[in-house]
Amino acid sequence: MESKRLKTIPEKVIIPLKQHNGVACKPLVNKGDQVLIGQKIGESVSYYSSDVHSSVCGEVLAIENAPNPDGNKVLSVIIKAVDSEETVAFVPANNPSQKDLIAIIQGAGIVEHYGAPTHTVLKPEGKKIDLVLINATASEWIGGKYATPTEYASQMMDALKLLMKASGALKGAIIVRKDDNDSIEAFEGVKVDGKALRVAPLLGTRRLGHYFKDQGSNIVVASQERILGRNILNFFTYNVTGRKVALGCNPTDVGVAVCGVKSAKALYDAVHEGKPYYETVISMEGAVNCPELIFVRIGTPFKDIISECTFNGEIGKIIANGVITGIAQYTDEVPVTKGTTRITLLTKEQVLRDESLDCIHCARCVDACPVSLLPTRLHVLAEQGRFDECRQMHIQFCIECGRCSFACPSKIHILQLIRYAKNAIEQAYEDATPKESSNLKLGCCGGE
Amino acid sequence: MDYTISAPPHIKSKFSFSSINRAKILALIPVSLASVYFFGMPALGIILAASLAAVATEYSIQRIFKKKVTIMDGHAALIGLMFALLTPPEAPIWIPIFGAFFAIAIGKHAFGGIGSYIFNPVLVAWVFVRSAWGDFMTPASIPSLGQLSDLVLENGAGLLVDVSPILLLSGVYLVYKKYIEWRVPLVFALTVFFFNQTVAFLSAVIGLIQEGVLNPLMYLSTMFIFLEVTDELSYVMVGIVFFGILFLATDTPTTPVTKNGRLIYGFACGLLVSIYGYFGNYVDGTIYGIFLANAIAAYIETKTLPAMFGHESLLERSYKRIMKRIPPSLKYEVISDE
Repeated sequence: MESKRLKTIPEKVIIPLKQHNGVACKPLVNKGDQVLIGQKIGESVSYYSSDVHSSVCGEVLAIENAPNPDGNKVLSVIIKAVDSEETVAFVPANNPSQKDLIAIIQGAGIVEHYGAPTHTVLKPEGKKIDLVLINATASEWIGGKYATPTEYASQMMDALKLLMKASGALKGAIIVRKDDNDSIEAFEGVKVDGKALRVAPLLGTRRLGHYFKDQGSNIVVASQERILGRNILNFFTYNVTGRKVALGCNPTDVGVAVCGVKSAKALYDAVHEGKPYYETVISMEGAVNCPELIFVRIGTPFKDIISECTFNGEIGKIIANGVITGIAQYTDEVPVTKGTTRITLLTKEQVLRDESLDCIHCARCVDACPVSLLPTRLHVLAEQGRFDECRQMHIQFCIECGRCSFACPSKIHILQLIRYAKNAIEQAYEDATPKESSNLKLGCCGGE
Repeated sequence: MDYTISAPPHIKSKFSFSSINRAKILALIPVSLASVYFFGMPALGIILAASLAAVATEYSIQRIFKKKVTIMDGHAALIGLMFALLTPPEAPIWIPIFGAFFAIAIGKHAFGGIGSYIFNPVLVAWVFVRSAWGDFMTPASIPSLGQLSDLVLENGAGLLVDVSPILLLSGVYLVYKKYIEWRVPLVFALTVFFFNQTVAFLSAVIGLIQEGVLNPLMYLSTMFIFLEVTDELSYVMVGIVFFGILFLATDTPTTPVTKNGRLIYGFACGLLVSIYGYFGNYVDGTIYGIFLANAIAAYIETKTLPAMFGHESLLERSYKRIMKRIPPSLKYEVISDE
């Protein structure tokens, strides 16, 4: 699949200084400064932070709070762009060591699409990673930057080796989607340590461990069905490796680092070309006449991308990311960030205006739930504020995929209610643990 | 420019409560027309009277109690139509009117409206009317499958719904289109079918034992009974049983929500209907059987709550325990997981 660049450079770009979970960056530029493409404009102040780079040439207009696709206002650097492709000098890294790689990842601002800075996933403090996974099950993240599928496969393989080196893990795997024949074919041609790869399907109880032994290799490519959702990491890890991730933990607690295709590609570019992460590929969805994949600079406002497309009708809703879990935007001034994978546009007619009715116990949500919860009960308990009972019914396992709300014939906002209950439980739980200042020592290392 | 903001998901499936009700009403229209063709004007009068009475009752109840009027979702009309189909054509016109009123007023709204009732309103009304005015509600004849043409037009039909079993298979189309969930009807139908075959099989075996037969081949040959269509089955292949399987038992508020619960509920429906039908008749049997199964639906649901995700079930645990005991030399070469 070919991706297109925008025809014009946006008039101004808005680059948020916090495009990751963690601590916001410290701005390195002042109002009126001239910046070049790839110039570092925000420096991370702690380990849980990732640098931010300019994606255009131009003059800094302001450093102020600006709208962000997550719905809040975030301190951003606003740059007035000039028509120039002048970049700072990119220095490729030559055979970097593990420490260098971690520094490169943080310095190049590589962030997972789900928010965590990649180096904190690969090298979490106090935890040891022994397996690196690249989740390539959503192919719209893949396309665009590669001339041929083979190039994609070989670059991914290189990136996986780099990620493994950075994390110190001995084993690595790439997970592709079962019905994505292009990718599977491409990976079948790649050679690892002189042996041709075979894409292994994850069937039944056969998980990665089986294939590591079966193929006698430390690197495997496996295929599985696509999982959609917001909090899918733990579910994904369990599906792929069979390792159970406890509630309130993430895959790094069981020694698994899950990376996306985008961050793997960004690392490949950072090491081989010295390019920081300032461009990304997004796709457009909805009733628009647009190239499927667009190569955009991070910080480009949505309206510049939308104006490149011919939209049939009046725009009723702008959604950052997909229709199931994406966040609806109140303005088209929001920029593309490192976490944006897609922009969805809905017409006025497509915007839903349903009224919730009573639950008719049709159990469509129960059938739709991938983690065998009972959304029909959970939404009632959440609405009545019976959060403890929600917790007894394992509400924390919800991966927020939204299939229950999608399927509901009574149009109840099940996902919203479940999130409300989950938030309430998390808050109550944080209140219950003693604060750092208190001298009370917990029996275990925090947590349950 | 104004943009709508709302919580995700931003698209929803095309199914809505009213579309499900409308689909069910549409699926029942062929059999209603067949009953009008077979019984003439009284049938038309009963169907219209019951449907209109049900809608009028719902409207007045919601107006009196100052609630939102929901007659347009089609649920009241569906209940009225379903009650009409369970009425014999000889019944005086006030029977379907009262039945529809009772179904909506007591069966549905006294229990708290849609989603809250524990017994199917149609069955509540039918059981009440049948107990109060048994003479009017007793069908003139109990249908049974004599020849195959009875599947298309049943000459011994006692209730409106009995006229044509084959037209009720429109419910199967609803299952295919996912308006109705498949678990309950499938298990219900299988149970009803195999109950009679099993009874016939067991009675054949007991007969052989009583004759003192020792030849094991004779016992084995009784297995062929499962392939034969027994006499009892001809009483099952009637309209009301089909109606019960596809429309009465699948009423969602009276069905457990858990996946396993729905399988068990379907089995319970089938077993109760079969027992009633075997010793009595399948007309009363279907209705009382499903009515009793409604009573245990909530119990089934609370007993089949799904375990924590990733939790091993009893079956998986015992399988693993057995596999551990088997010496490795006997196993196929399976490379174990981490």
